[in-house]
Amino acid sequence: MSNKEKNKSNRREFIQKGMRLSLGLSIAGVAGISALRVNADDYVWQLDPFKCVSCGRCADHCVVSPSAVKCVHAYALCGYCDLCGGYLKPNANELSTAAENQLCPTAAIKRKFVEEPYFEYEIIEDLCFGCAKCVAGCTAFGNGSLHLQVRHNLCVNCNECSIARVCPADAFERVPASQPYLIKGDFTAGDDHA
Amino acid sequence: MKSKNIVVGIAIAIGFAGIVFWLVKDPTSSFQASIPGEDNRQSAGVIEEIIRIGEKFIKFENRSTEMNGTWTRFRGSDFDNIKKDTAPLKDSWSEEEPQILWSLELGEGHAGPAIYKGQVYLLDYDEEKREDALRCFSLEDGKEIWRRSYGVHVKRNHGMSRTVPAVTEDYVLSIGPRCHVMCVERKTGNLLWGLDMMKEYGTELPQWYTAQCPLIDGDKAILSPGGSAIMIAVDIETGEKIWEAPNTMQWKMSHSSIMPMTLNGKKMYVYSADGGICGVSAEGDDEGQVLWQTNEWNHSVVAPSPVIFEDGRIFLTAGYGAGGMMLKVTPDGEKFKTEILQEYKPKEGLASEQQTPVVWQEHMIGILPKDAGANRNQLVCVHPDDVTKMVWTSGKTNRFGLGPYIIADEKMYILSDDGTLTMIKPDKDQYIQLAQKKIIDGHDAWAPLAIADGRLLMRDAKTMVCLDIGE
Repeated sequence: MSNKEKNKSNRREFIQKGMRLSLGLSIAGVAGISALRVNADDYVWQLDPFKCVSCGRCADHCVVSPSAVKCVHAYALCGYCDLCGGYLKPNANELSTAAENQLCPTAAIKRKFVEEPYFEYEIIEDLCFGCAKCVAGCTAFGNGSLHLQVRHNLCVNCNECSIARVCPADAFERVPASQPYLIKGDFTAGDDHA
Repeated sequence: MKSKNIVVGIAIAIGFAGIVFWLVKDPTSSFQASIPGEDNRQSAGVIEEIIRIGEKFIKFENRSTEMNGTWTRFRGSDFDNIKKDTAPLKDSWSEEEPQILWSLELGEGHAGPAIYKGQVYLLDYDEEKREDALRCFSLEDGKEIWRRSYGVHVKRNHGMSRTVPAVTEDYVLSIGPRCHVMCVERKTGNLLWGLDMMKEYGTELPQWYTAQCPLIDGDKAILSPGGSAIMIAVDIETGEKIWEAPNTMQWKMSHSSIMPMTLNGKKMYVYSADGGICGVSAEGDDEGQVLWQTNEWNHSVVAPSPVIFEDGRIFLTAGYGAGGMMLKVTPDGEKFKTEILQEYKPKEGLASEQQTPVVWQEHMIGILPKDAGANRNQLVCVHPDDVTKMVWTSGKTNRFGLGPYIIADEKMYILSDDGTLTMIKPDKDQYIQLAQKKIIDGHDAWAPLAIADGRLLMRDAKTMVCLDIGE
């Protein structure tokens, strides 16, 4: 192979390598920018249960009907009480599952006997519309294990959350989509979770 | 014309089908009724536990130093939660104050201590041995002197223990979580007698166990079992029943404690049960008889005790949305009658979920519950003439919890749930905070406080500490 041919081959290789490199850089750049953009946009709405005042507006102001805000239960915090302030109306006639004794207007809390004297409470999410009556009762008279959360399988993640606009406690905030829930017990009041 | 008839016919048919559908279809067919029993509640096991009250005794090598101070029972000797005969107490605390003199790990609960001349008495629950334990400690160093106990199975249910023993020169009287009454000699811990109120009177165990603190009045133990007797008197030495007031009202034992009252020279015992409130004669020919009663104060969980005024007014409060009531008892011939002066929800006036408000300078001071609206968890002051009007509140930056408070040497000590102790100057005109300090990393610090000999005993769910608050 003459020097001329050798130089020719090198030039071709050089151009090919240059093309590959620039293509690679382009792809990496696009991927990087995309990643940055995704990261920047990857926030969702959530409410801080320690700020929530159980006003009931989550039930009425969500664009989704019924509301994407539901009651969740931090079992680790629950006292498993027979007399549950989140399940029973104040001064209920008896500690039973009769409709007149239940605080929840849609009977969305299922009460189950575990063993004397403990009862377990489970949220039936399909029936819950986020009225927070149980949350108010549990917060006032119990450990506060019942609390509200935006459910992200239901939330449409509006640019401006219509509940956040009317929340009297300023409890709604943007949280990373990778950690979309603020479950009581996993964090405490005042934690920085943004 | 023909096609028009067809269209009309179809329309009529559709309309008719719609009416039939509307008549036949039950829109509530998918509804499910919420009825009692869906929780599959089952009664307690049929195996009856054999409990021998006071069966065990341990004497330790430790001794106590003789002191003068006493805090003999729940709310103190005058039932007002004010320690009067105390040495001067500090008005402020330095960085190191108040000093923790000693601390003790206890069974989970809210039982408070009583103090008598250098000894501390506490009805604890030993979670490891599964027994109620009346424990005697030295106030000086917290060392245990003796322990009288008995096996009883108590599960965690927002704590286990939650009563304060009654102590006199000769006796210590306690009530355990499952209504077991025990009387022992104070100096030796020797067992005198025991009483199982569930067994003898059919007492229905209150939610979260017994919280009624026993009363010793002279040579009698005064108790309110609920069940078949709303109140009983027992000979403190022998355990013999002196009288039993039948519970014809079928009220239940509450978390409240019996408070004495003297009206027009007539001494009586007042008990705020789950179901109503009554006054039982404490002396004379009618001793042990119910003098008056009313079910106007009827709530499912009543923890605070009645606050009694000399003119016959009784302030009542409870949590779980109950609020408060000012009741007046007046003589009516040979009997007494009751009249409601004020009744309101927790957002509308002085209310409390667990602690009993304290009377100071003819005013009442207490901490509002969490369902009291904007003033929730604030220390507030009201005048008994109108308990719905706040004279002052501690403000939204000074909120407390379900914890206790006590007054001594013109200082009021308030314990928050998390173990923060606040000292204020109790005043009828304004909230005056003197000092505040986080004493322990606490949880559910709800037990009543006790003060004697310049020392304050406080506890959270698991730990009791003795603080030096004297000058």
